[in-house]
Amino acid sequence: MPDQILKPEELQPAAELVRKTLEQLDRILLGRAEVHRLVLIGILSRGHILLEGLPGLGKTALVRTIGQIMKLDFKRVQFTPDLMPGDVLGTHILQETASGKRELVFQSGPVFTNILLADEINRASPKTQSAMLETMQENSVTLLGTTRNLPQPFFVLASQNPIELEGTYPLPEAQLDRFLFRLLFDSVDADVLARIISGRRRGELPAPTWQMERADLELLFATMGKIYLPTPVAKYIARLVSATHPGGPEATAPVNKYVTYGASPRAAIAIAEAARAHALVSGRPSVGFEDVKVVAPPVLNHRLILNYQARFDRMTTSKMVTELIGGLDETGLNLPKDVELAGGN
Amino acid sequence: MNSSHATALRSFARHLQWLLTLRLTVQFATVWFFVWGVVVLAFRFFGGKDNPWFMLGILGLIPLVIFAAWSAHRQQPAFARMRANYDRLNQCGGILMAEETADMAAWFGQLPEAAVPKFHWHSGRAMLLLFISASFTATALLLPEKLARFGHRPLEIGQIVQQLQAEVKTLTQEKILDDKKSDDLQKQLSELQKDSSGYDPNKTWEALDHIKQADSDAAKTAAEEAIQKTESLTEAETLAKAMDQAAEQGMDNSTAAQAAQDLASLMNSAKLEEGVLNGQIPPELLQSLAGTNGLNPEQMQKLLSALEANKGNFNSMMTNLANLKLIDPATLAKCQNAGHNPDFAGLALYLSQCQGGKCDSQELFTWLHKRCRGGPGGGGPEAPMDWDNDTSEANLKFQEHTLPPSSHIEDAQMVGVSKSAPELAKDDVTAQHGALDNAQAGGGSGHAQVILPEHRQAVQNFFKRDEK
Repeated sequence: MPDQILKPEELQPAAELVRKTLEQLDRILLGRAEVHRLVLIGILSRGHILLEGLPGLGKTALVRTIGQIMKLDFKRVQFTPDLMPGDVLGTHILQETASGKRELVFQSGPVFTNILLADEINRASPKTQSAMLETMQENSVTLLGTTRNLPQPFFVLASQNPIELEGTYPLPEAQLDRFLFRLLFDSVDADVLARIISGRRRGELPAPTWQMERADLELLFATMGKIYLPTPVAKYIARLVSATHPGGPEATAPVNKYVTYGASPRAAIAIAEAARAHALVSGRPSVGFEDVKVVAPPVLNHRLILNYQARFDRMTTSKMVTELIGGLDETGLNLPKDVELAGGN
Repeated sequence: MNSSHATALRSFARHLQWLLTLRLTVQFATVWFFVWGVVVLAFRFFGGKDNPWFMLGILGLIPLVIFAAWSAHRQQPAFARMRANYDRLNQCGGILMAEETADMAAWFGQLPEAAVPKFHWHSGRAMLLLFISASFTATALLLPEKLARFGHRPLEIGQIVQQLQAEVKTLTQEKILDDKKSDDLQKQLSELQKDSSGYDPNKTWEALDHIKQADSDAAKTAAEEAIQKTESLTEAETLAKAMDQAAEQGMDNSTAAQAAQDLASLMNSAKLEEGVLNGQIPPELLQSLAGTNGLNPEQMQKLLSALEANKGNFNSMMTNLANLKLIDPATLAKCQNAGHNPDFAGLALYLSQCQGGKCDSQELFTWLHKRCRGGPGGGGPEAPMDWDNDTSEANLKFQEHTLPPSSHIEDAQMVGVSKSAPELAKDDVTAQHGALDNAQAGGGSGHAQVILPEHRQAVQNFFKRDEK
């Protein structure tokens, strides 16, 4: 609607909050500006994030710092094979009341928080992993027929170790699909390491110098709802997701060759929301094609199911998504093959 | 929309329109040049003459350009797509696209500077094809006619044409053909040599036969006329010589005058000045001859010389025609025989004995006809016919003819390919396959002679004879 498009002065407070948040994150956690932006985008999109990287790269520190900056409740669960659903969701225990009667009283689990760090989530049994499905999708917990809403906002930031596969249970596709992003944590370069070890005794993080209030977070979410998604960009997102399906009209040759199942409609919704958040982070009231290109890889790279041929040819989902984005005409201009369009600026 | 971005967006759309038009024009022109070249080449290959209308094919590019512009207009993407691309390429972050629903003027200040996106057409292949196509058309237009008809072997008629040209030249020199007719024939021969094709030689052969026939007919007509005039000249010469001898033997004046009248009559009947061959007799001699006093000895000698010269001219002409084989040797011999003067002693004696001009002119002419032309019942001087002796074969031999040298089939040259169907002779005989074909046991037909094809007609004619 025309009256929903933000004016510059309406967008400016939210943009300032984003700027300050990123500034704090970049100051506290060195060398990961891009990851910080994506994590913030994920939070603004009210999505859950799967962090994948080796131990010691700062995944937990990132989540903890975000909780501090946003003044959100933060809890951490170390997932192990013997971890039971009740250990995460909570359980009923028998207690004696003041009148002497005994009754089952619900003892909430660590999931009742704003930010849940599910550390090494792939080490938990499928039973425990599946207990997370409702919390991530419905933001609620149902036990003994009683549904309890989780505090808002609720985010799951899960981590998993990509190299220790023994004794792990790969996340089922249904659960993977519930993560907005899968972010890959790489090691930082030597300069950043030098700054870390010279300025951080025992790796202790500095405290944030600025914290977001609850109302600020509400303002950010409200502003997010007014970011405009133009029709050509929406069509581009739809075509991009459609192109991940082998045999589809937009599917490229690598997709037809390597992909068994493409991304779900939830992926298209996730891209749209994340693109809106990226526009907000960039200080714009509308979504452009470049926003989609930034957020599409972390949205799609855990949603494509490749076949064995892709493993043989060392084709990864990240490469596939990169090729797909590079090969798809954003606006469907359908120019002749020998005509190329170069940028104006 | 910001005016600078609006202007840039319009320019962007216009550039695309021009580029698509140019690209389609190049593609259409490539096809058009190729079709044009093929049509021209095919026309020239199948014998068409060079035509300046070929160049009008260039005008075909005009509708092609119009059609290309129309097609490009139809291919032009919708404005929303053009705006989306402009937004993307100028990194406007969807602000221009958002104008589809709201006024975004408040955000224009944050937009980057307007710049028209550039199109880059990889035109190398298209231009190469256009160049090849245009070169093909130019080659088809400028190719020499001989090369344009590369599939047509020229017919080897040079020798025949040379012979016919020599014939026409000789006939012209001998005044048998007039200059206009001669020029026409020479021109026809030149064109035939130039346009002859081994692909379908019938037309050329027919034209050559026609010219050959025209030459031969003209030569035959001239030969018949030459023979006739030579005979008349021989009669006149014989009479003149007889008159000359009779004058020495005492022929009186009246007889001489009558004989001169008869000679004049013979000269008139010869009609030397008519027909294709004109004899040359001095007119004063003819006038004196027609007069009452006849010719004096000096004039008579001049007349004899003139008659001899005319005969010589005719004989020379006939020899030339015979050398070119326009007339057969028999006709030449006939002409030469017609020029031989018979023994005129009897005629001179007859004239000297006629007194007072009482010679019978009719008898005189009969004698001359009989002796000079064979006459009725004649055929030359009377010869005694005896049946007593066998014809002697002593000192006789067959006339020698040199046969043309034979050649191997490997050395044969193809002079042409005829499209006409072969004709079967009406009396063609089915080939027999062996001596015992159609033989019946006990039927007495065990012996059958194989008749070679070249002998069959003679054998059939033999058995067609009426039985006596």
